[in-house]
Amino acid sequence: MQAFTRHIHPGWLIIAPLMLMVIALYLGPILNILWLSVTDPEPGLSNYAKLAESDALIRIVWTTVRICIITTMFSVTLGYSIAYAMVHCHQRQKNYMLTLLLVSFWISILVRTFSWLMLLGRKGLVNGTLENIGLIAEPIAFMRNELGVLIGMVHYMIPYAVLPLLVSMQSLDTRVMDASRNLGASSTQTFWRIYLPLTLPGLVASTLLVFILSLGFYVTPAVLGGGKVLMVAEYISVQLLVTLKWGTAAMLAAIMLTGVLAMLWIMSRFMKLSTVFGGAAR
Amino acid sequence: MHDRQFKKEMLQDSAQAYKKGRMDRRTFLALCGASGVAMSAVMAGDAEAAADHVVMWNWGGQSEECHGSAIGDAFTAKTGKGLKFDTSGPLEGKIKEMVDSGNVTADVADADLFNAVSLGPTGHLEPIDYSVVSKEKTLPGYALEYGVSIILYGYAFVYDTEAYGDNPPQNWADFFDTAKFPGMRSLYKWANGSLEAALMADGVAGDALYPLDMDRALAKIKSIKDNSLYWGSGSEAHSMVVNGEVSLGMVWQNRGRNIENDTDGRYKLVNNQAMAMPGAYIVPKGNPAGAAVMDFIATAQEVPAQLALLDCLGMTPSNPEAFGQIPEDQQPYAITSAMNIDKIVYNDPDWWGKNGGDAVNAFLEAIS
Repeated sequence: MQAFTRHIHPGWLIIAPLMLMVIALYLGPILNILWLSVTDPEPGLSNYAKLAESDALIRIVWTTVRICIITTMFSVTLGYSIAYAMVHCHQRQKNYMLTLLLVSFWISILVRTFSWLMLLGRKGLVNGTLENIGLIAEPIAFMRNELGVLIGMVHYMIPYAVLPLLVSMQSLDTRVMDASRNLGASSTQTFWRIYLPLTLPGLVASTLLVFILSLGFYVTPAVLGGGKVLMVAEYISVQLLVTLKWGTAAMLAAIMLTGVLAMLWIMSRFMKLSTVFGGAAR
Repeated sequence: MHDRQFKKEMLQDSAQAYKKGRMDRRTFLALCGASGVAMSAVMAGDAEAAADHVVMWNWGGQSEECHGSAIGDAFTAKTGKGLKFDTSGPLEGKIKEMVDSGNVTADVADADLFNAVSLGPTGHLEPIDYSVVSKEKTLPGYALEYGVSIILYGYAFVYDTEAYGDNPPQNWADFFDTAKFPGMRSLYKWANGSLEAALMADGVAGDALYPLDMDRALAKIKSIKDNSLYWGSGSEAHSMVVNGEVSLGMVWQNRGRNIENDTDGRYKLVNNQAMAMPGAYIVPKGNPAGAAVMDFIATAQEVPAQLALLDCLGMTPSNPEAFGQIPEDQQPYAITSAMNIDKIVYNDPDWWGKNGGDAVNAFLEAIS
């Protein structure tokens, strides 16, 4: 017993049941998916070989990655400005902004998706107004294409981008910026050389969060893309529910999982991941 | 597998015994415990279903109420058994998953006949008992070993009378003709019906569609891709039309009347060359109510149920006996009415059951 407790902290025993449950309920199904990807319909790597053979699969993966990258860029840039404004404005205004942000954060994705159709659709508010005042003759195709998907996704993702950035900006020691100005740096220099690097962990956290969440988007592309923007999540669901190609679905899921893990690993080479998720920087 | 089946039957028997008072609660609990099943699960799921009702797996919404009034009431009057619903939508993948997991909670699924072709031979469905269910009470070719068509729904289209009022589109060739009929169109996203429409537009006769010439169909689909949107659900198809996003919209024909009403007649349904899809009842393997479900299916075949489904859901009867009794005001919207039956074409569930998966993927790849 002595030897045992020397190597393993007794605290582990307390959380052991929880750990076992997590392993059984979480890792179990994931392993099952990985297993399915090499056994269905027949054992071997035939599902993965499809990636090399089929242009369509590559195109779907590429569409997904492209849309996610663009979404992440816009959401994080806009999110950064919003968070910056929130930190630096008056407390009252900040509360208003936070309330608005959280309200949109809490509204269901379906509602938000369909409201975009009402606003920017062919007969939507914006097109209707522009046509009535004679600015355009034909409605502008905002929706039911890739642009529509991007608008919907960026809008949905902005709160996810803002929140980690807000935390990171609020915990900054503002005297550092004062010191920088005091030592003769211009405001632009202070921002680029002091402020931005100090908020980098928050920036990375929000980029990762937005990108990873975007990868799994299903409703928005399906509705706003008009059927023409096919992303991996929707394709996986079709393979599971309609065409019964569970092996292909599992293979794509495994690729997504590996991709996300690889991304986290690459990040960890450059910085301590725990700082991104709120741990202490050492 | 046999072990599980045995346990289930034993529990069902004991649940019935317990309900009738032949077994005391403690013994029943002990049996449940020994089989590793919570009593509540047995009572709520399998065993209770075996005892006194049939669980129908459908798509929710209006269909819950309509299936209840059209079939459920007559079924209860005939057999004394009730009807309950699982409204989560019996997609092929979900049926397979349910049967594979060994925890079958539904007795009859409101599905497509091609599901019977793809899931039957793989052991996921119970065969239809044609000593109870009638082969004559559906269209020829639509009574298959593992499923029987109860209703038909059709892939038809609506058009904007304001855009094409004087010279309306009349067939799929017009639907695909963007020069003569400019504007956006909408098609079904999961290939079904869209492929057939494309082939008919390209000149293939309605009775010579199968086996589908995929390359030809997809080329036609791609030719109007820039003018097309694709819908995945009936409500989406409906809203694309009602919101004026498309001037020509492929729809399930049972939506036709609602669309005409919602747009005050601006959009009009065309049933010429509509493709009749056999909606079928199929029974997941090892269904809890057992053979009792066949009585339910037989009830759904009867003329009153058929007409009630038409009235309530707009689903067209598949029982030829009911064709002549379709009421006057439903004639334009029912694809097997005297008004439409000579103009429609028929889906081949056998082709779709065997090739559907690949066809859907090829279609998705073509439109994305």
